[in-house]
This record gives sequence, structure tokens and C-alpha cells, in this order.
Amino acid sequence: MIQAGTKKPPTSKLNNKTGISSLIIFVVLLLAWIAGFSSRLFAVIRFESIIHEFDPWFNYRATAYMVKHGFYNFLNWFDERAWYPLGRIVGGTVYPGLMITSGTPIFSGLTAISTYLLTKELWSVGAGLFAACFIAIVPGYISRSVAGSYDNEGIAIFALQFTYFLWVKSVKTGSIFWACMSALSYFYMVSAWGGYVFIINLIPLHVFVLILMGRFSNKVFTSYTTFYILGLLLSMQVPFVGFQPIRTSEHMAASGVFALSIAVAVLKYLQSVLSKSEFKSLFIFGVLTSSAVVFFTVVVLTYTGYIAPWSGRFYSLWDTGYAKIHIPIIASVSEHQPTTWFSFFFDLHILVTTFPAGLWYCIKNINDERVFVVLYALSAVYFAGVMVRLMLTLTPVVCMLSGIAFSGLLDLFFKEDAIQRPEEIEPEESSAVSSKLYDKAGRVPKMKHEQQPRETDPIGPNVRSIILVVIMLLLMLFAVHCTWVTSNAYSSPSVVLASYSADGSRQILDDFREAYFWLSQNTADHARVMSWWDYGYQIAGMANRTTLVDNNTWNNSHIALVGKAMSSNESAAYEIMTALDVDYVLVIFGGVIGYSGDDINKFLWMVRIAEGEHPKDIRESDYFTENGEFRVDSQGAPTLLNCLMYKLSYYRFGELKLDYRTAAGYDRTRNTVIGNKDFTLTYLEEAYTTEHWLVRIYRVKKPDEFNRPRIPVANRLVKSSSFSSKKNSKRKKGSIKNKPVVIKGKRLSKQS
Amino acid sequence: MLRLLSILAVIGYVVCAIPINSNLVNKNVDRIIDLNSQLVKVTASITLENTGKDPVSNVLIFMEPDAQGALAFISAQDALKEDLKLEPIKVDGINDAYDVKLRQPLNQGRTAGITVEYVYTDALQPYPNSISQKDRQLVRYFGNHYFYSPYKTVKQTTTVMLNSRDIESYTKLKPVSQQDTTITYGPYNNIESLTVDQLIVHYENNAPFLTVTRIERLIEISHWGNIAVQENTEIYHSGAKLKGPFSRYDYQRDSSSSHHSIKAYHTVLPAAAHSIYYRDSNGNISTSQVRPRKDWIELELRPRFPLFGGWKSSYTLGYSVPSYQYLFKTNNNQYVLKMRLLDHVFDDMHVNELETSIVLPVGVKNVQLKTPYPVQRLDDEVTYKYLDNLGRMIIKLRKENLVEQHIQDLEITYDWQSVLLLHEPILLSLALYALFVFVIIYVRLDFSIHKPDHSKTQ
Amino acid sequence: MADFDSMTRYVSPVNPAIFPHLTFVLLGIGIFFTAWFFVYEVTSTKLSRDIKKELLLSLVASIFSGFGILFLLLTVGIYV
Repeated sequence: MIQAGTKKPPTSKLNNKTGISSLIIFVVLLLAWIAGFSSRLFAVIRFESIIHEFDPWFNYRATAYMVKHGFYNFLNWFDERAWYPLGRIVGGTVYPGLMITSGTPIFSGLTAISTYLLTKELWSVGAGLFAACFIAIVPGYISRSVAGSYDNEGIAIFALQFTYFLWVKSVKTGSIFWACMSALSYFYMVSAWGGYVFIINLIPLHVFVLILMGRFSNKVFTSYTTFYILGLLLSMQVPFVGFQPIRTSEHMAASGVFALSIAVAVLKYLQSVLSKSEFKSLFIFGVLTSSAVVFFTVVVLTYTGYIAPWSGRFYSLWDTGYAKIHIPIIASVSEHQPTTWFSFFFDLHILVTTFPAGLWYCIKNINDERVFVVLYALSAVYFAGVMVRLMLTLTPVVCMLSGIAFSGLLDLFFKEDAIQRPEEIEPEESSAVSSKLYDKAGRVPKMKHEQQPRETDPIGPNVRSIILVVIMLLLMLFAVHCTWVTSNAYSSPSVVLASYSADGSRQILDDFREAYFWLSQNTADHARVMSWWDYGYQIAGMANRTTLVDNNTWNNSHIALVGKAMSSNESAAYEIMTALDVDYVLVIFGGVIGYSGDDINKFLWMVRIAEGEHPKDIRESDYFTENGEFRVDSQGAPTLLNCLMYKLSYYRFGELKLDYRTAAGYDRTRNTVIGNKDFTLTYLEEAYTTEHWLVRIYRVKKPDEFNRPRIPVANRLVKSSSFSSKKNSKRKKGSIKNKPVVIKGKRLSKQS
Repeated sequence: MLRLLSILAVIGYVVCAIPINSNLVNKNVDRIIDLNSQLVKVTASITLENTGKDPVSNVLIFMEPDAQGALAFISAQDALKEDLKLEPIKVDGINDAYDVKLRQPLNQGRTAGITVEYVYTDALQPYPNSISQKDRQLVRYFGNHYFYSPYKTVKQTTTVMLNSRDIESYTKLKPVSQQDTTITYGPYNNIESLTVDQLIVHYENNAPFLTVTRIERLIEISHWGNIAVQENTEIYHSGAKLKGPFSRYDYQRDSSSSHHSIKAYHTVLPAAAHSIYYRDSNGNISTSQVRPRKDWIELELRPRFPLFGGWKSSYTLGYSVPSYQYLFKTNNNQYVLKMRLLDHVFDDMHVNELETSIVLPVGVKNVQLKTPYPVQRLDDEVTYKYLDNLGRMIIKLRKENLVEQHIQDLEITYDWQSVLLLHEPILLSLALYALFVFVIIYVRLDFSIHKPDHSKTQ
Repeated sequence: MADFDSMTRYVSPVNPAIFPHLTFVLLGIGIFFTAWFFVYEVTSTKLSRDIKKELLLSLVASIFSGFGILFLLLTVGIYV
């Protein structure tokens, strides 16, 4: 399938050739689309069609809202069922592109096509077909775009590739039409993903490098100025972006290069008008002053605060230690950790090795658009090394450059007739034509002419076929690896867990949905659920209840409050919960089945985040033993064994024997018997626990329900206001009511 | 007090126009009150004697005026197990009164036997009405020691069947005896008509108290050979409410089979059903088992969580059956669909509200409906499914308070031309052809602003 | 009570067991004609186009593809 793209039949009729070749291109792209689409359906086949992970649940809920209420109401939506009691302005904090254009697996096909177009512009049709096939099945991209992963990146990569294709096309042709199209595509990208910052910095960088290399021309000028102005105006239409493009440091590079390019264009015009020596001094002076002016304006504006400095998320890309100290929430997400070598190979397989080869080909045969791809590759490699999540931006450029590498390789080994000809955009047609002409002309001059190149090409047909077989083997291994990775690693919806029992049969653990469904059916509609922010979107999407914090994590102090409630003891936590009006508390507990993603394992992050905001009440060191270990057994720290999270996870667990050999209260995840077993809850009551104890829901008791705390003796008396005696001189003598009168000799008469 | 009520009832009855034949006498009545499930099922075998001169062809059956719950179903059969026709009649002071037509008129001095079966729903009251997880569920039944009839009863016996030996209390009107799980009242002799004497039994009942609050049954007919059925069900545990916490640990440890919570139940599906799916709003529910039996398919459904008192749940169950099972064709392009109005949800079920919708294929005319019992017909609707430009007609029916005996067939007759089957592929072909024509026009258009000498087509 | 003795059970005009085979055949022919049409469009120039050939090709292609898609839907289980 992958081979068909390059092995075109060399001797077919001329007038049918374009027909057959375009048919083959069409068929290859269609097959790439189908392959990409099908391999993303593994999750649906193995489990069922359900939305995965956490973020997609919010996107789903937002889309449902938009469908129900219309787009304008969606942009103005204030969600009071999230971040209780603050609420969330959804319209202003979401990228609406995903909600408008759904259907992620189909977009993978469109990404393949746009990658094909982009690589075709850069190199050749053959390279384009290779790149399209690679990106259709490569795991790095599939991980974020399987059927069920309803997240922004699925459509954003398509928008990215398409915008880059249009940009390259406009730089090549210099036409305003293509520049406008690229601005429109950029607008779509801005509405789809926060990673649009990458585009708005890479394209100005490209223009800047072209200026430095002296390749600045009218074409570049036209395309960049059109793109910048239109793109700026369009990007500000998205409510989430608003005025950021002119107020934040991330966008200043674009404005700076814009000003610089105008300056350079002016200078070039002057160059054509003035004489050479006059111009030279003016040129140097002009360049220095203009760049200095631009630079100082930016610095001054940043200093005075008019332009906001780099935001935390993007700053942590440059200073990798920043997040752990200052913004623990960003550091706690596993996707934000640095990338390991394992991830590179796992996601890209052999493309990792062929990618530098393609990069070298591009550098050797440099022109305007290949400068762009080189810059893209270098910056993507840096960012992918910083954060695992950004592997996604590296994947398209790796596919493109590997496609170029393979195409170059195959060109070398299959087109031995055309070696001495200069490199052209579409070598097949012209080479076929020329080879025919060559054959028809005299054989002798050809042999003489090709004598020397022939000597450098002593590789006969045997070596060529060996190379061909090796390449085919590599590509087949690549396809097998991609399919295996997709089906095993990236196709599990984390909402449904599957475990394989001893005889190989699959047991589905559906505890999450069981708990969320119970919540949606058996609690009041306005009930408020407190849980850690990981599960906020899922609770809102599946259980349809108001949550306190969710995955958007925009308010750190609110999350810190929830973390403080989880880390304090029961009475302090109860105060926080009544202040926040909480009805139910939800915790995830994996001790019975050995699930390692439960709340006790995440507990330290809760403590750290709470400590960031309430350093006097919560200290992380309190939760460790003297040796500095985090233990839940009897050696564990007493603060840990009495905090709310511990109690809610292990309530009644101390009595449970998992099997007759182990002791009661054995936690399978931490592999130890828990320390604090027999305790009762005063302020909460167990409302529901799922079948495998994975999700535990507790109800917060109202003040009139639990045993009142003991009032100290001093407070038991009700003190009234100042007491004045009503006794005056007349009534000073008190009397006893019904005093028995005893008369000597007479019986005491009964009186009532 | 109750005797006064009965006398008033008699007086009130005299005022209304239906004549009661005072010559008709219940010679012997054997009542069996089955309290084993959430429903009250009563079977009364009545031997009638005509002590008058005129032959009698109608018998009146009355229900107690202040009975608990609602009467869901009533039927009558004669001694040869043939069904007798029952007509509801209006009688002042009596909520449910029925007129049974005998097959042969009963002559003077002869006896005839009829069997009346009726089912009451919501008649068992949980007492106490909220219990904790470990408690037993106790319910109370309010009935009548005597058989309530417009005729005098010479001799009668009542047997009450319960499902546990632990009986908290029961009213004792001599002669009464209790063995194991049955209480036998009687025989009582010479009881006048319309006498009421309250019978109360307080006992433990762990049968599933599951009420289907609403079931929406959707039947889609496709003339390509398939009928698709989908049921959206909402269930609710109508026994004693759960108070206090739910402890998973106690629930898992308590392995006794009879518990007032509901873990699973069995649904019976037609034998030819295939492509069965069971899901809810969150996705597929994997805890279900399909067991094909000889004449039917048994589906064991387990809701996502066990139902305790006051808890509710909902799910969607669907399957497909081939059309030749239920769709019949006459010679002149008339088709008849004979399908169940309500299907089995679980044994001893109680459905509060049923809404059945039948989606007919495109282009049907002259629709006629025949239902086995009176239902409320809602307005017809029009829906658009795949490949529909003209809509499809939906017939909607609604009924309340149904039990297992309501599982009967309904017949819909309509006219339809079989050539209409082709309109779907023709629609597809037309759409594709329009696309091709668009391409043909597009390649003939010229968008260039100026014509260069050699234009390189790309 | 309708007269069920005079009525026959209704069966589909096409045996459901052959739906998959019909799908393959019809859709295969439809795709072949579509490909022929596509190649014709790409290889012909303004002067060499013949509208009658185009219309005929597209008509045949759309009929076969339309029926093929219908049987595809029936095979999958969407009984339209």
C-alpha cells in the first residue's frame, strides 16, 4: 500500500499517464484516510463507543449545550454547575472550534491530505504520499485523536498542517489570495487550540530568518503582511483570545517582525533608488535603528505592565523548573513532564531515525520554503523534549521529513537514469519523457556522456533490489508497530477498566459509570459534589451534578480549599464543607483491585497545592514519617491517618478480608495493611460504594443530624442579663408553699 | 362502623338503576389471596345457584369500595376454563363493578361455577416505611374477611398465601388457622351481601418491589425484512425506603438470597430476537446475560447498582426480530402487524405508564388499529429517519397501571405499495448523480482572471 | 379478528442472507464506474470532452453506487 505511491508504472501510454497517476494518488490518499480512520476505531471495537479520559467530557457537554441553545447563547454561557459557588464563564474560556466541527477520526483523514499537500509543495508528490501515509497511522498523533478522544488536539493538528501548507504556498507564489486563505485557516486554528501560539511565533521566525539570510523578496513581504494583519484581526474574534494578541509577550514576536519587514522593504526600495555607497551606510544605520526601536518598545511596554509577560504555561517551557516551585498544579499533570527516549521511539518508531536524514536533505537543497520546514523541525524537537504532551506538534514535521528522506532514498535507487539531471519538483514525468528520448537518440553518445556518473553508480540491480526489500521490511515493521501501539496502548477509555483473569477472559470494571449513574439517579438535582479536580468534567458530564472544581483548573485558591478540606481532620473539613455548601463527597479508592491512580496516590499533590495557599494550616512534612516516607500502615504519620481523605478511603475497609490468606484491611495498591482501621465518621455518612470499592460517595450530614459535640460545663448555663432581686422589705421573708402544720397531739392531715 | 357502611351501601345501591337479582346466591366461594409478590392476586371460585324462577344470564361482580391500591386487571372464566365476557358498569358507591355474561343461562335450581381473577397494584403498604439496610422489609395487606358480593354467600373460605413464615400479626376472625406460610379463614356461613370486615396481615415480604414507572416501547417496521423494538424503561424500588447509610461491606457480606434490595431480574424476549443491546445514558451496561431457551430468550438484567427502597434507575433495551414473525400480508396490498402491546419486563411486574409507538414505513394509507383492551390513543406524529424525505407516520398509544396479564397482541392494518420500497435507493442514486453533474459543470468553468499563453494546469 | 388463514407471512423481496454479497457486487461495480469517470475527467481537455459520455458514465455509476450503499446500510443493520 505504501509502495504503490512511488512505484508508478514507468512505461505506460503518455496520454493515460496523468490519468493513471492521478488515480493512483487519489487511491493512495483514500487508503491512507481509511487506514487512519479504521485504526482509530480500536477503542470502539474493544470496548464501546464512549468518550474517553476527562477533558473530552467537558467538550461533549459544551457541544450538547451549543446544539441545544444555539451558538450565540453558547458564547454567552455562564455555567453555574461548575466551580460552585463561583461558576465559570464558559464562553470566554473555551476554544469553540471543536464544538463547531466535530468528528475527530474523519479529521485524521483531512490531516493526511493536508500533510500530503504541504510535503508536495516542499519536495515532491512521492514524498507527499509517504508523509500522508505516515501521519495517518503514526501513534504520536493517534493518541490524541482516537474515536472517543473528543479533544481539541484532534482537529487542531489538521488546522496546523493546513495553515502551514497555505503559508508555504503563499510564500512560493507571493499571491494575496493564498495569504488570505492562510489567514482564514489560521483563524480556524485559533478557534481550535491554545497551541496556535506556536504558529504565530514560527511564521514570524521564518520571515526573520529569511531576512537574515538575505532571501527577503516581494513575495515574502506580500504574504507576511497580508497574513499578519488579517490573522491578527480574525484571531481577536475568538472570545477566549480577545485582546491577547496585542497585549501579551507571546504575540510580540509577530508584531516585531511585522515592523521589521516593513522597514526592510522600505530599505530595499530605497536601495533601488539611491546609489550603492550611500545606500550601504543608510542600510546599516536603518537596520540597527529599526530593530533597536522595536526591541526597546517591547521591553518598555512589558516593563510598564501594559504588555503582560509570558504566562505560566508558556514560561514553564523555557524554564523547566519554574512550575514545580510556583505553580504545582501545572507540575502535577503527568502530561507536562519531560519526555523520555522511550516515548520518542514508542510514538514515532523508525521515523525518529529517518527524520534527521530528511532534515539534512532539506538543508542541502535550501530554498525559501525549506527554511521554514527546518525551523519548524528544530523548534518542534526542542518543545517535544520539554513536555510529553508536545510530542503531538513534533509528529507532523517528523512525518514530513521522513517522507522526504524516503522519497530521496527511493529516487536515488530507482531513477538511475535521471541521476545527472538537476532536481526538479516532479521528476517522474519529465524523467520518463527524457528517458524515452534518450533511448531514441543514439546509444553511443549517451554511454559516453554517462560514463563518469556510471562509475559512481556501480550498484547493480541486485543491490537495488536488496535495498528495496530492506525498505519495504522497515515500512512494514513500522505499520505493524503503529497498529500494535494503537490497539494496546492508546485505545483504552480510562472510564472503563478492563482486567484479564487467569483464564484469559476479560472482566470489565465499570465502577466509574456505576457511581456516576447512581449520582444522577438518586441524588437531588441541585446537589453539590466535592471531589478532586481530576473528576470534575466526568461528574458534570455523566452524573450531571454541580461540581466544586474541575479540570479547567483556572482558580488555584479554590482547588487549594478543596485540597485543604481533604487534608484536614474531619471537624476542620466539615467547616470548609458547610461553608462551600457541599452535599456529597466523592473519592476514588483503588485498594481492593490494585488501581494505582486513586486519590491516596495523588494525595501529596493535594497537600502541596493546599500548602501553597494555607501554609500555616497544612504542612507537607506532617504527612510523612520521621524517616521521610509516605506510609499508610501503622507506622504512618498521625496527621495522615486522621485526615479526611484517609478516613473516606478506608472507611469500613479494615474489616474487609480480600481473601482468606491475607489479613483484614490489606491495601492492594500500597501493599500493606492499613494503620487506622476501626474508626467512625461523625459528620459524613456512606451513601454509595461501587462494586469493587473503586468510587466511594459520602453524604455530608446536616447540622441537626449528628450527635452534638460535648459542650463544656462552663458553657452549659444560659446566662441571662443582669439579675435584680424582687425582694423588698415587705416580702423579705420567704414562705414555703403548703407547709405542713404540725399540732401536737393531732394527726397530720393529708393535704394535696 | 363497617356494618353501618355496608347497610348504607345497600341502601345506596337500591337507589341506582341496575337490578340485582336477589334470587342468585353464592353457594360456595373459595378465595385464594396470593401475597407472594408485590402484587395482590386474588382468585375466587364461585358456585352460583339460581333460587328463583327466571333463568339468569348475567352475574355482577363488585370490588370493595375502599380497597387499597388500584385494580389493574380482572378476568372471569367458567367451569370449563372458557373466557367469559366482562363489561364494566357504573354503580353508585362502587368504584369497580363488572357484569359477567354467562355462556348458557342459568336455569331455576341449577348451579354454575365461575372463576374470577383480579390483580391489585400498590395494595401492599410497607410498614415501617423506611428501614435500614439490615432490617427486614415488612408490609401490611388490608383486605376483607368476606367475599364482597351483591349476592348472599352461603359458605365461603379464604386462603391467604404468604412467602415467609414470619408473620407479624394478622386479624383473627374465627375460625382461622395458620400453617407454615398460609392462613386459612373460614368457613364462614350465611354472610349477607355487601358485607365488609377488614382483614389485615402484617408480614415479611422480600419479593422484588420493583415498579416500572414508565416504559416507552418503540416498534419500527422495515419492509426490507426487519422489525426493530426498543424499550426505554424507568424503574423504581417501591418498597420500604432506605434510611441511613448504604454500606458496601455489609452488602457484600450478606449473602442471603432473599433481601429486600433488587440485584437482578429476568426478562423474556421473543425467540427470534437478535442484536440485543442494553445500555443507558452513560453507555453500554455490561452486566447482562443472554440465555436462549426453547421457546424464548431469557435475558438476565442487572442494573448498574442494586436498588434499595426509594432508589431509581433507567435503561434502554433493544433488539431486532425478522419481519416474517409478526407481519402478515393479504392479497390486495394490505398488511397486518400483530405484535405485543406490552412485553414482559419481569415476572409479577407492575407498570405505571406505558407508551407504545409504532413507526410505519413511508407511504402507508388507511391505518386501522385493534387493541385487546381499551387504551388511550395519542395524536399521530411524523418522524424522519434515515433516507426519508416524506415522513413516516407514528401511531402512539398510552395506558396506565398494567400487569403481566396485559401482555397481549395488538393489530395494525395498513395499505402499502411494494414499489415504494425502491424510493430509498433511487433517492441515493439521485443524490450521487447530482454530485456528478456538479463535477461535470465545474470542470467547464473558467476562473482565471487573464489568460496566459501557456497555462500550466496543476 | 382478522382472517389469518388467508394471509401469508411477509418476507422481504430480497433474501437477507445475500445482503453482504449484493453489497460487494453493486458497490464494486459502482466504484469501477466512478473511477472510470474520474480518470476521464482528469485526462480529457476542454476540446476532447464528450458530454454524452460523461452523463452516461455518471448515470450508471450513480445507480450502481446508490443501490450498493443501500445494501451496505442493510448489511450493517440500519434497516431503512
